[in-house]
Amino acid sequence: MKEELFKNLEKAMYDYDKEKAKEIALKIVEENINTVEAVDVLSSSIATIGDKFSSGELWLPDLMLAADTMKGALAILEKELLNQGIERKSQGKIVLGTVYGDIHNIGKNMVGTLFSAAGFEVIDLGENVESKDFIEAVKKNKPDVLAMSALLTTTAPEQKRVIEGMIKEGIRKNVKIIVGGGCVTQEFSDLIGADGFEPTAPLAVDLVKRLLNK
Amino acid sequence: MTGENKLRKGFKRKFPPLEILSKEDVEHIKQASLDILRETGMVIEHKGALKLLEENDCIVDYDTMRVRFPESLVQECIRRCPDTFRVKAREPENDLIFGGNTTYFMSTPGLGTVDLDTWEYREPTKQEFIDAVTVLDSLEHHDWYNCYVPYFGYKGVPEVMKMTMGLYQRLKYSSKFTAEGFANYNWLFNFKLAKAAGCELMSPALMVSSPLALSEFAVEACFTNLEYGFPVGVDTGPVFGATAPATIAGSFAQYNAELLGSAVLVQCKKPYSRVFGFGFAHPQNMRNGAPAFGNIGITLNNVMMNQIWRDYGIPRRNSASTYTNSKKIDYQNAAERMLPAALCAVSGASSIHWYGGIYGEITFHPVQAILDDEIAGILGRFLEGVTVNDETVALDLIHSVGPVPGHFLSTKHTHDWWQKEQHVANVFDNLTYPEWERSGKKDCIDYGKEKMKKILETHEVKKLKDEQIAEMDSIVEEAELFYKKRGDL
Repeated sequence: MKEELFKNLEKAMYDYDKEKAKEIALKIVEENINTVEAVDVLSSSIATIGDKFSSGELWLPDLMLAADTMKGALAILEKELLNQGIERKSQGKIVLGTVYGDIHNIGKNMVGTLFSAAGFEVIDLGENVESKDFIEAVKKNKPDVLAMSALLTTTAPEQKRVIEGMIKEGIRKNVKIIVGGGCVTQEFSDLIGADGFEPTAPLAVDLVKRLLNK
Repeated sequence: MTGENKLRKGFKRKFPPLEILSKEDVEHIKQASLDILRETGMVIEHKGALKLLEENDCIVDYDTMRVRFPESLVQECIRRCPDTFRVKAREPENDLIFGGNTTYFMSTPGLGTVDLDTWEYREPTKQEFIDAVTVLDSLEHHDWYNCYVPYFGYKGVPEVMKMTMGLYQRLKYSSKFTAEGFANYNWLFNFKLAKAAGCELMSPALMVSSPLALSEFAVEACFTNLEYGFPVGVDTGPVFGATAPATIAGSFAQYNAELLGSAVLVQCKKPYSRVFGFGFAHPQNMRNGAPAFGNIGITLNNVMMNQIWRDYGIPRRNSASTYTNSKKIDYQNAAERMLPAALCAVSGASSIHWYGGIYGEITFHPVQAILDDEIAGILGRFLEGVTVNDETVALDLIHSVGPVPGHFLSTKHTHDWWQKEQHVANVFDNLTYPEWERSGKKDCIDYGKEKMKKILETHEVKKLKDEQIAEMDSIVEEAELFYKKRGDL
């Protein structure tokens, strides 16, 4: 039963079948099957899909559909983990958001899902996040990484404003900062004093692992 | 699915073709071509052809070998030409159906290859010849081989044997359909080679010498072609201002007359034969006398041909348009070739010369062919137009996604449709700036080289049977003996 459910869960991931994945996750909970192992199935499936995306075999819509499929099933399994008092072993805590003036969320959501899949705890502040709110969230949650997204050339400088604010508050050294988005380059990342930049979501996961020596 | 139902689909144009002539213009030019054939006629240096045409009511002057064609015969012979026809490749999945609204892309030849660093010309080796054939065999939108492709020959092959050996290698290393040109009696062997390989051969056998003349050899090649029952390309290459009037309309009227006169000869010799209109009309570079490749006049000629020959109901192949004066794979190369190719495609060419040729017919390179496959895909996607129905308009989807923060990227509709709707770049650089920097700042030529390497490592060509190769080898030996006896070897 367990093996079959896990196999079907994996298949639902590769078929991008959100409803099926949720249905199987519920069945796993009902049958008291090892939830941690089920989460691992989701993680390894999304990792495979991420690898295929990185190698050019799959495309953004595949990655997004897989991320959405995982998100639904993961929510059910994480809730059960919480009920059982099991803490999913976290690879680290990441505060994530799209900067002020920018309401684009696709890239940010994609990266967030892949961070979750890789075992990180993600605190998503949403879009159009003001500098003060990023700083407040860092103070409150004490994350290992702050990840900021900006799609527009006009909003990318907001990332600099957040970093300057953190320096002013004396908390810059407590956290690794990564930046991303359509208009961001390595030069820009260096210029504003971020710790890293990657052009794609799967590479951003690798970057965080490198920064945290995982 | 049986082999009968398989074939290369090409691209289907799903919108009305581009037309640059009014109805009155079309009639004016058609009538001018008929007048040229009736009043001036053509010189046909072949006694058998003269007799045949005389029997079909042409006025023949045997002393000057001049033939004048009655209008009624020309019209009748146009009617005899099939408007669509199938040609047989080595493998049924590579058969083609010429005509209708289908456009195929084919390769173009080079006298030699070119060094991608120095852009200098040199004669290719046998292995380079085979490699280039292999690359063309693998490319998705490359439908068939032109004559002399990829090169007019390779090192170590005597001049008189070059075209025959080139054909031999194409038949051996590709299962796609091919054409071959005629010279030095090679028609005695080329058709046999194709037959031994189990396919037909398209020949521009009836190649006019502009203005208005057919040589004895051209007619001999054509008649041999017809004995085999293979389709015939009627071909001519008038030079605007040199072997034809400098005006586009005048040169086209003559070009059209030359092709129609040739089609008449084919239909008189063997009625209802499959005829394909070729053509290499081009202006002259008035400084050095070379062909003025890249000149838009060539494209005007081709677009006119597509409009008028669609009216005749005869498949037509556009050439010359897509040659460049550039000696490199560069901006000029792309600019001089792609616009004409696009215009030929949207105006209804049945086939377009496209793959691999760089400067004129002087240089060819497989990397150019790989890049051309990308552009054929882009043009083909354009030809297929826009599908408009409830599913593609996607009104329900737009309603359900709604304004921001809604998006379409993770919808099944996007997943199912995006690749059908877009042409996805294969070898063109489409990385973001940071990705490009990390990739080593590669450009499309770098990707083309990588793809060529991969093709040569992985592509498997469908092999001929041992007995077919043995028969082809014996035909080559026969040709060598023939040329030795003539003192050519």
